[in-house]
Amino acid sequence: MVGFEHATPGILCMVLFALGLLLFELQRTSRGHKHFIRRIPGIDAVEDAIGSCAEMGRSVVFTTALTDVGPVLYACLGVLHSVAKRTAGYKLKLVVPQYSPEAMAIVEDSVRDAYNDAGRGAAFDPQSIVFLSSEQFAFASGYMGLVHREKAGAAFLFGVFAAEALVLAEAGQQVGAKQVAASVSPEQVAFFICTCDYTLIGEELFGASAYLSREPVQVATLAAQDRLKLLFAVLIALGVACATAKELVPGLAMPEIASFFSADWSIFAWK
Amino acid sequence: MEVRQAADRRAQIIRLFTLLGGVYFFAYFLLPESAIEAIGLKERHEPISNGFIAIGAMAIGLGLLNLVSAHGSRLAFRKKGWVYSLALLSGLFSMIVVTALQWRQSLAATAELRKIQVVSDFAQRISQDAEGQKPAPPLPTRIEALQRYASEQLSALDVGALSPGTSDSPLRGELRQSAQALREKISVAPAESGEALTPPTKEWLEAVAKAGSKLGAALSAYQRELASGTTVQQLYSLLYEGVFTQLGAAMFALLGVYIASAAFRAFRIRTVESALMMTAALVVMLGQISLGRMVSDQLPELRQWLLEVPNSAAFRAIRLGAAVAGLMLAIRMWLSIESRSFSSRKK
Repeated sequence: MVGFEHATPGILCMVLFALGLLLFELQRTSRGHKHFIRRIPGIDAVEDAIGSCAEMGRSVVFTTALTDVGPVLYACLGVLHSVAKRTAGYKLKLVVPQYSPEAMAIVEDSVRDAYNDAGRGAAFDPQSIVFLSSEQFAFASGYMGLVHREKAGAAFLFGVFAAEALVLAEAGQQVGAKQVAASVSPEQVAFFICTCDYTLIGEELFGASAYLSREPVQVATLAAQDRLKLLFAVLIALGVACATAKELVPGLAMPEIASFFSADWSIFAWK
Repeated sequence: MEVRQAADRRAQIIRLFTLLGGVYFFAYFLLPESAIEAIGLKERHEPISNGFIAIGAMAIGLGLLNLVSAHGSRLAFRKKGWVYSLALLSGLFSMIVVTALQWRQSLAATAELRKIQVVSDFAQRISQDAEGQKPAPPLPTRIEALQRYASEQLSALDVGALSPGTSDSPLRGELRQSAQALREKISVAPAESGEALTPPTKEWLEAVAKAGSKLGAALSAYQRELASGTTVQQLYSLLYEGVFTQLGAAMFALLGVYIASAAFRAFRIRTVESALMMTAALVVMLGQISLGRMVSDQLPELRQWLLEVPNSAAFRAIRLGAAVAGLMLAIRMWLSIESRSFSSRKK
């Protein structure tokens, strides 16, 4: 089997299928097809938290923590854009502490755009995008200090987290901030469930942006990823059924589902 | 209008580079290793990857600018919390100054070390070139040049690191021995040094390379010993190992306290879910310690089953969902299919 470094024909087929699916859903959405998105209480809580901050006049903190430039940051930006637009509308202070300098430049652009969209471009303060540190625990201590000094009313923790997750979430808990967390790091989800008011698990982070904005491109992406996930579920079920049948009836010829993805280029006599 | 056109052009350039970068990395990931080698991509991959790392490194300047501007203005206008900004900026600039001084100090030492390492590299190169019959000056001329260069470097070492005035130490003794070993090797020329590489000449070159490499290692260790006594190095150790690393460790230690307080809140049994969580946590914790076996022999097995079956299933589901969503978003990024939230051409 070919190592992780290089793809197999099966993976190429899968990527091409994913591309086709995305383009198909984009086309369908552009023709006016409406996709249903189920209600996610954690995302509704984002709006409620900003609303309560407006009532109390407290600031909002949004962090992407250890997220570097990549798909997860892109997903977080969708939510940040929505949060920034609402805070601009309510004239609330938004603070976005940063860990990665590369991500910081992109985050700053996104928040500026959101303020412009809300018609309050002049109110955007570039210093609200605060670079803290590229060191994990230096970032965590900076975040703790910031949340305590600002007495944040709401804290949104979206992105990739590691051991500092609980430190960040506890800081918000100590000042009584309403917290919504979303992480693709399953190890940290348990900590967020214990400490935050609402936790979005795994792919819900990617769906949050589409749910909040209802933009056709984002909704189409969400629909395409659901279709692809369905395909994987079918493949997993088939794989389990084939393996079980082989165990129950020895000698029964059943297809190896996994070999579709693991077979290398030698099947085309090109190794 | 012109500003809008410039922004559009900028966006187009970004899209083009994103697409090309995506095509390159996708092709590299997709093609089998033999094909990558055949089209000559393998040797170009490292410089290309380094280019991306260099671009990333430039962004550190952005972070530094942001820190100085945010905290500098707070300090200048004595805004609320200016003392914290003063502490941060003092720490930042102290670290920059001390690190720059340490780097400057190490420049001379690195140059001295490199000159010694060249002896070993040169000997190896002569051997490789002669074996591969690569175009090069005649072998005797190169061997003579190697002997001359090595003795020059050893003389320089005698007036530098091994000069009589410098204090003695075990590492210095080791350095002296290594220098003597190399001196002995280069003083005895190979028995026959004709145009072709004979086994005795090859052996001599290997011995010189080995002695040169040993001398380099001894010099490096001695330089580290010398540097550790300087004020700059001591300041660096104090700031980095004494303050920064310890503060990081203190933050990490806080986790223990926070885990206890978070667990206390989460495990109060108010709903069916929290009761389930509490039970699972209790089984896992008891199964981990010897007390668990005293309660029941089945607890460690139950703990293992909880971790390996329901827990792994949940982890895999989260990872699969996130990976599929990430793949779709990555394709969208690659093809620059932007949503209105990220596009400057909105309305």
